[in-house]
Amino acid sequence: MSAPGGGRTPIVIGRPRREADGREPNDEGKTVIEVSGLTMTYGGKVAVDDLSFTVRPGLVTGFLGPNGAGKSTTMRAVLGLERPGAGKALVNGRAYASWPRPLRTMGALLDAGAVHGGRSAHAHLACLARSNGIGRERVDAVLGQVGLAGVAGRRIGGFSLGMRQRLGIGAALLGDPAVLMLDEPLNGLDPEGIRWLRGLLRSLAAEGRTVLVSSHLMNEMALTADHVVVIGRGRLIADCAMDVLAGRFQAEVLVRTPHPERLAGVLRAHGATVVREDDGGLSVRDLDAARIGVLALSEGIALAELSPRGASLEEAFMRLTEDSAEHRAEYGAEYGAAPKGAVR
Amino acid sequence: MIDVIASEWLKLRSLRSNLYLLACSVAAVLASGVVAFLIGRGFDRQTLDERMGFPGNGDGIGNGIAVAYFVFAALGALAITSEYGTGMIQTSLVAVPRRQRLLLAKVPGLAAVSLVAGQVLAFGMHLAAMAVLGDRAGQLLRDGQTLGTPLSEPGVLASVVAAGLSMAAVTLIGLGVGAAVRSTPGALVVLVVVIVALPTVVKTLPSPLRARAGSFLIENLPLQIAGVGGGALPPVTAAGLLLAYVVAALTAGATVIALKGRRIKVLAIGTAATVLLSAVPAVAAGAPGSGPSSLTWAACADRNLVKEMRCASIEVPVDWARPSGREIRLTVGMLPAVGAQRRIGTVFAIPGGPGGSGVKDLSTYAGSFAELRERFDVVSVEPRNTIDKGVLPYDCLVSGPWIALPGSRAEYAELGRRNRQAAERCRAADPEYFDHMDSASVARDMEAIRVALGEERLSFIASSYGGVPAIAYARLFPGRVRAMVMDGAASPYLDRAQGMRSHERAFGRFAAWCAADTACALHGQDVGALWRALVARADRVPVPVRGEPSGTAYSGFDLKQAAVASVVSPGPAPGYPRWTQLAEAIRRAAGGDASGFAGYVRQATGSPKVPSFTGMNMTHCLDGIRYGGYEEYREARLAGERLLPNLAGIELWHPLGCAGWPAPVVNPPAPLPATGLPPFLGVGSWTDFSLSEDIVRRVPGSSALRYEGDGHALYNSGVSCVVAHVNRYLVSLRPPAPGTVCRPAA
Repeated sequence: MSAPGGGRTPIVIGRPRREADGREPNDEGKTVIEVSGLTMTYGGKVAVDDLSFTVRPGLVTGFLGPNGAGKSTTMRAVLGLERPGAGKALVNGRAYASWPRPLRTMGALLDAGAVHGGRSAHAHLACLARSNGIGRERVDAVLGQVGLAGVAGRRIGGFSLGMRQRLGIGAALLGDPAVLMLDEPLNGLDPEGIRWLRGLLRSLAAEGRTVLVSSHLMNEMALTADHVVVIGRGRLIADCAMDVLAGRFQAEVLVRTPHPERLAGVLRAHGATVVREDDGGLSVRDLDAARIGVLALSEGIALAELSPRGASLEEAFMRLTEDSAEHRAEYGAEYGAAPKGAVR
Repeated sequence: MIDVIASEWLKLRSLRSNLYLLACSVAAVLASGVVAFLIGRGFDRQTLDERMGFPGNGDGIGNGIAVAYFVFAALGALAITSEYGTGMIQTSLVAVPRRQRLLLAKVPGLAAVSLVAGQVLAFGMHLAAMAVLGDRAGQLLRDGQTLGTPLSEPGVLASVVAAGLSMAAVTLIGLGVGAAVRSTPGALVVLVVVIVALPTVVKTLPSPLRARAGSFLIENLPLQIAGVGGGALPPVTAAGLLLAYVVAALTAGATVIALKGRRIKVLAIGTAATVLLSAVPAVAAGAPGSGPSSLTWAACADRNLVKEMRCASIEVPVDWARPSGREIRLTVGMLPAVGAQRRIGTVFAIPGGPGGSGVKDLSTYAGSFAELRERFDVVSVEPRNTIDKGVLPYDCLVSGPWIALPGSRAEYAELGRRNRQAAERCRAADPEYFDHMDSASVARDMEAIRVALGEERLSFIASSYGGVPAIAYARLFPGRVRAMVMDGAASPYLDRAQGMRSHERAFGRFAAWCAADTACALHGQDVGALWRALVARADRVPVPVRGEPSGTAYSGFDLKQAAVASVVSPGPAPGYPRWTQLAEAIRRAAGGDASGFAGYVRQATGSPKVPSFTGMNMTHCLDGIRYGGYEEYREARLAGERLLPNLAGIELWHPLGCAGWPAPVVNPPAPLPATGLPPFLGVGSWTDFSLSEDIVRRVPGSSALRYEGDGHALYNSGVSCVVAHVNRYLVSLRPPAPGTVCRPAA
């Protein structure tokens, strides 16, 4: 991540090492999504900038970033709907488009609205199933799985957004794929639907499948994802386990003591980042409250206050991405150049 | 790929809107029926002759085909634009990331639906049009088509099937356009332009361009594929073009749908396929049966000829027995095919006379050939025996001795002497040329023209004496005859007196007219008895021509000879000016003055009696229209007197002109080959039907068309019914059913 002017080094924690041949190890040959050096430009504007990450099996991976960060563009590149300017996006080691029956390899939901309103839910899924040689029984099974069995014969045109999301998820599940990639699947779902989808995604991951779910809301992902990939302005910001990300931002501790200078020295000696605040308190990071207490006790420094200052995940996310969010107006211009969902 | 095709079939089937759209195509059947109804109504209000000038309704599909095309094109376009419109395309591309595969997988389903529906619709449209036209469909038109063409007509089944196929092609064109435009309204606009606006624009183009451009319109391709009209393209080329349009449209679609960076390749492959499909059949079809013409066509030197006439000249040997000998130059004239329809070949119009110029005739009667020129070049020649050709003195050729019936061997010899004198006077200018005026030489000249035209075979319309060179050609070059029309053609086979019985019948009509019409100067008298008495009297004591200083007097034979042209050509009804004139002349002759006859004879020939034209005899005599001697003449005369009560002797007039002729017979009547000739079509009026009929009955499969009226060289005269039947025969090579009759327009 040495993008010029990138400013911030991405947080990459628990990321697998690269093998000698440059390929990601994928847990005994299990299916993964692998994005490497991906760059997408539209009319001179860079939408995705040298982006690399890997989505591993057995986990729900959240794909986070503010609107316009390049999430959908990245997903479209994975699906072969766009041609990358540079780099590649592979599914299980091959370009998605090169799979003979791709729905059986990876199921995807990009836009729940991308359906013909004139067809029934059943016909819509049957068409998709047939194109990948998937049996009709899967259509009925999937309709049941996403809770649309009762309206299978109705025209999609009359469906609510939530029903369309369920239909889109059903389409992604048709091929019983080992990889799932869903763009903002929680949009339009009611609370019951959200709970259902979380359960579904978790169970799919638990079966060993690879699940990538995008969202622009961190809170949504906090309860769903095991791992997060955060991007902003098309660049990788973070690629780490969800709890690591959460822990990292919750580990700021406020300490008040009559001997702030001494305590700061001790804490720094143990690897903490200490900032002296205006009211005399110390803001300590990289050491948790319990450790600080033990260190103070052993050094015999009295403490007036020792309180972990918990930032919400959403705040953490905002902080992570604020750099890119400053330039939202600029992304707006990029939307104009490459409207979301357009097939080029 | 099978999976994707099956999936696209499901997509097509699972949208009810597609079914509604297909149902809309019934409007095309309606359109065909309504237009046929309007044609039928207009038709009923016209006279028979005006009806024959109607443009044919053909298989009836043309009037509704734009509607059908639009529906099918919309079906094809919507198969892809509805995916773009709803965003479904993204979902489809996720399921089938190979974009060309996705597009092409739509082809089989659309093709299957439109092939079946297209056939149903095409037959529906055809049957609707035919049902509405009813009996009127069978009305023959001047261009040789019927007002409606039923499936039993050759090529019509093929054209209806091709129309159905073209709807499938249009469906796929719609798909290609839809994929290229990616929006439903946009695609519909493009398709309206291609299917509706473009043909409308083409119809406003000036004539030769209109026909040429029209050939390339989709709606005109089915007829051309079936070879029954629609334009100038050969069937294979038309079929190739239709496929090329489909491939071009699909190429456009596949190029646009391709990911950036792959488009050039798709475009290149598609363009190559398009070019291949349109060019290869066109080259392969390369006008079989006609090679390049070695004639140089230019504006005609004779400024009196119609403007569209082109002229060329060809050198032929004077004596075909010595091909490398002296040559003469003949002028060939052509009314070129107008290019509206696929050119079938060349029709050679053989002029009569003998001595007429085919080039002048073709110019004079150009209007009669207008419909024929949709399919043929029409060619004629100023033959070697044209009297005003300039090699032999014209004044000499249009004069000749008067013929009197020889009553004895001595008188016969005397006639021969006078004939020989007259012949020698003209012959002196160019004896070699004069001795090669036979119709067989004319026929060989025609063959030289065929070779120069580069035509494999020729079709002929032989008028009047043109029948003799036509028969010579058919004998000499039977394999080169594609079709032969004998229009009032002289038969060298028929006994001359037998051939004149029609003139006796005409005399009967003249007498009946006199009995019925007070305008006849002989009204109220027994015209037959009066005439026969006058003739008998004049044969004893010739009737003097008052006011003729030379003391010319008309014998009975002279009276018959002067009367016969008027008898068979009364002029237009109801006035019958020539009958009126004839009756007056008879009345005066009965009163002792033949100037009524001499007056109009002089007007026509410059001589108070009809001379035995040397310009005709120079061909007649070489073609064997002469007697072997006095005995043969005697027998013929007696036989004629038994057969022809009022006009006996007129059959002798031409052969007697050849008594004593200085050149031998070189083209005697000889039978036509028993095999190898196509069926002929004979055409004839009251006067000359029996002659044409006598020729064509000698060729198996032939038939003769009788015109129930007066006239001669009916095709040139532009008699609609005759033109229609002849054109039909020349296009289809099938003569009308035996016993077919044409009647004069009321």
